[in-house]
Amino acid sequence: MNKTLLSQSLRVGITFGVIHLFLLLIGFNAMLGSLFADIARVKQSGSIPASIFLVLYCALLGVWAGYSAAKKEDANVFGRKLVRGLIAGTVAGLISAVVSIIFAVLVTNKIDPRKYLAVLSLDFMRASLFNLPVVQGVAANFGVLAGAGLAGGLLTALSSFSKVKHAWKNFAGLVKGGLEKIRYCTSGKYHLLFKIIFLVVLAAAIFFLPTKWGSYWNYVIGTVGIYVILGLGLNLIVGLSGQLVLGYIAFFAIGAYTMALLNAPEPHNLMWGFWPALALGVVLAAFAGILLGLPLMRLRGDYLAIVTLGFGEIIRILLKSDLMTSFTGGPRGIQDIKGPTIFGQPFNTDVNFMYLIIGGVLISMFIYNRLKHSRTGRAWLSIREDETVARASGVNTVKYKLLALALGAAFAGLAGGIFASRNQFTGPDEHALMASINVLSLIIVGGMGNIPGTILGAFALKGLPEILREFANFRLLAFGALLVVMMLSRPEGLIPSRRPTLQIPEDPQSDEENKEVSHVD
Amino acid sequence: MILNVENINVHYGAIHALREVSFTLSKGEIVALIGANGAGKSTSLNTVSGLLHPTSGKVVYLGEDISNTSPQEIVRRGIVQVPEGRKIFAKMSVWENLEMGAYTVSDRKVVDERMESVFMRFPRLKERRNQPGGTLSGGEQQMLAIARGLMAGPKVLLLDEPSMGLAPILVEQIFDIIREINDSGTSILLVEQNALMALSIADRGYVLDTGRVVLQGIADDLLHNPFVINAYLGGETTE
Repeated sequence: MNKTLLSQSLRVGITFGVIHLFLLLIGFNAMLGSLFADIARVKQSGSIPASIFLVLYCALLGVWAGYSAAKKEDANVFGRKLVRGLIAGTVAGLISAVVSIIFAVLVTNKIDPRKYLAVLSLDFMRASLFNLPVVQGVAANFGVLAGAGLAGGLLTALSSFSKVKHAWKNFAGLVKGGLEKIRYCTSGKYHLLFKIIFLVVLAAAIFFLPTKWGSYWNYVIGTVGIYVILGLGLNLIVGLSGQLVLGYIAFFAIGAYTMALLNAPEPHNLMWGFWPALALGVVLAAFAGILLGLPLMRLRGDYLAIVTLGFGEIIRILLKSDLMTSFTGGPRGIQDIKGPTIFGQPFNTDVNFMYLIIGGVLISMFIYNRLKHSRTGRAWLSIREDETVARASGVNTVKYKLLALALGAAFAGLAGGIFASRNQFTGPDEHALMASINVLSLIIVGGMGNIPGTILGAFALKGLPEILREFANFRLLAFGALLVVMMLSRPEGLIPSRRPTLQIPEDPQSDEENKEVSHVD
Repeated sequence: MILNVENINVHYGAIHALREVSFTLSKGEIVALIGANGAGKSTSLNTVSGLLHPTSGKVVYLGEDISNTSPQEIVRRGIVQVPEGRKIFAKMSVWENLEMGAYTVSDRKVVDERMESVFMRFPRLKERRNQPGGTLSGGEQQMLAIARGLMAGPKVLLLDEPSMGLAPILVEQIFDIIREINDSGTSILLVEQNALMALSIADRGYVLDTGRVVLQGIADDLLHNPFVINAYLGGETTE
């Protein structure tokens, strides 16, 4: 038994013990246990699940601890991995046991600590002792974690067995080969056919899904769609032209409020109709982008971020202020915003709005794609890479930076108009700083500067929290953890940008037909 | 006279970087600006290319005052700068870097012709045209930077420290290329710390010190000037 083995395993054990303690104090075990109970279709009353599910939670944590500890073993020795798992599990179990003893003392003396830690009701603490008598409860807390740690070690040891490893390799190879095949089929000769089939399926899905999956999904996916438009717009500014703008949601607010002020009975009763209001919102947002851009042209990097952050806050606070209450409705926001009409027919069911949003997304994607691969796009990239050299190469950097801001803002204006009209409401708090950060996060998570990344990011950031509703209060916790893990494992985003490269043919004869934009890793 | 810089003063905020600097460049000439760090060499180039504007004095190019013209317009008129430190677009391919060099040229045919001739001059770049610029070696990056400058079809090429950080053999190569470019009719304004190399290919030279021109003359004379030898050539006598 050497020192590193002991100290490393101890450290893993302590880490997991502390994590367990933390999760216990916020009641995460009960929450996850309820989720297991849901999955197992066991009915429960109140927020505390049956003990078996809490045991399951502890066991899973213990297995994880054991696995983490055993994974650190370099030597492929069965016993050493087991020992590591066991040590980690035991240490975590000891910590758990100490916590249980405290719980037990509190329970027997009927002291209710809920004043300090909201979830620690007597029932909860009893449940954490698996509803067993004190001594058995403490022992069970220790035993489950220690045993599970050993199991985790065993699992790791087994999986490094050559046979298991071999099987895994085979499986991975199979998957990889399959992917290669798909890639081969979708490129070159079969490219067109596959593209057509893909597009037909996609078009059918786009057309039929909104009518089938009900208003809840239309709402969730619609919100995702809005954020795709926002993400693409911000991508124009941050991803392509390289200007870090933080108050982006202000442009969204301009679009939303233009729609609201022109199409709601309160406070002005103008009733312009949806389409003119949408168009005006887009134009106004673009105009605001230019206005904001003019003083920004001298700033780069962090300074730019801070100034734009200020701009976003100014817009939000203005909308909220007493000064503007008679004009914008103040903190109450604006209600009953009218929906769109097409040829005089109302076009405002959830399905209609879904189509509208999909239309908006498609238009945004098209414009984004065209811009990215144009001369303008290349000018933006050069500014992002090195502004001074771009200027020395003859790029009018002021013009292109303003253009990026104006177009990005216009996207946000479009999204804002549709969003306000769909929700029939807009208020200042929808446009808080957090929303700007959400949009920025979604393009960072998805992968800066490309469309699939933006879509994936929007699903991950707006769709996932919706799906994670089950986790209730732990939504943000789970979400934050997810972001940290993701940034550590994929720092360039889920789908890193592949730089588009103008390919010139090796063979000068076939010059014209081969000149196409393709991708190089 | 293709370029005539008359008594320019340039400030960075409160710092007076150039004081009454004047120099000229005739058609077909190579003129070297030499001097130590902070003497104002790069500032002079940036002022000519329009990245900086003089607080007083004039930059006259082909008879027109360009001291307040925007950099993109100056590029369009034929003065192209190759910035210091091989500033290429690292994530763009070699081909795209060259395309960026021809950004002000709207005629596709002209761009293709220039691309061809640049590839003739730099066969290495042709081999690596689809590779990101950042993956090239130091010497290749410098070649790319110069090639990108040539894509704009310059009448005057401003080279800022082309030998910086390169191995001696590569420095020789780069200077051979500079001479070739000059032979094909481009006037060159060269800023260098490597005074020996610069003066050996230049027709004339200017010595800058703390923002002033302290010495000027035929390159050969400067090479044998005791002040220059002491200050910039390490005290050795040259051939």
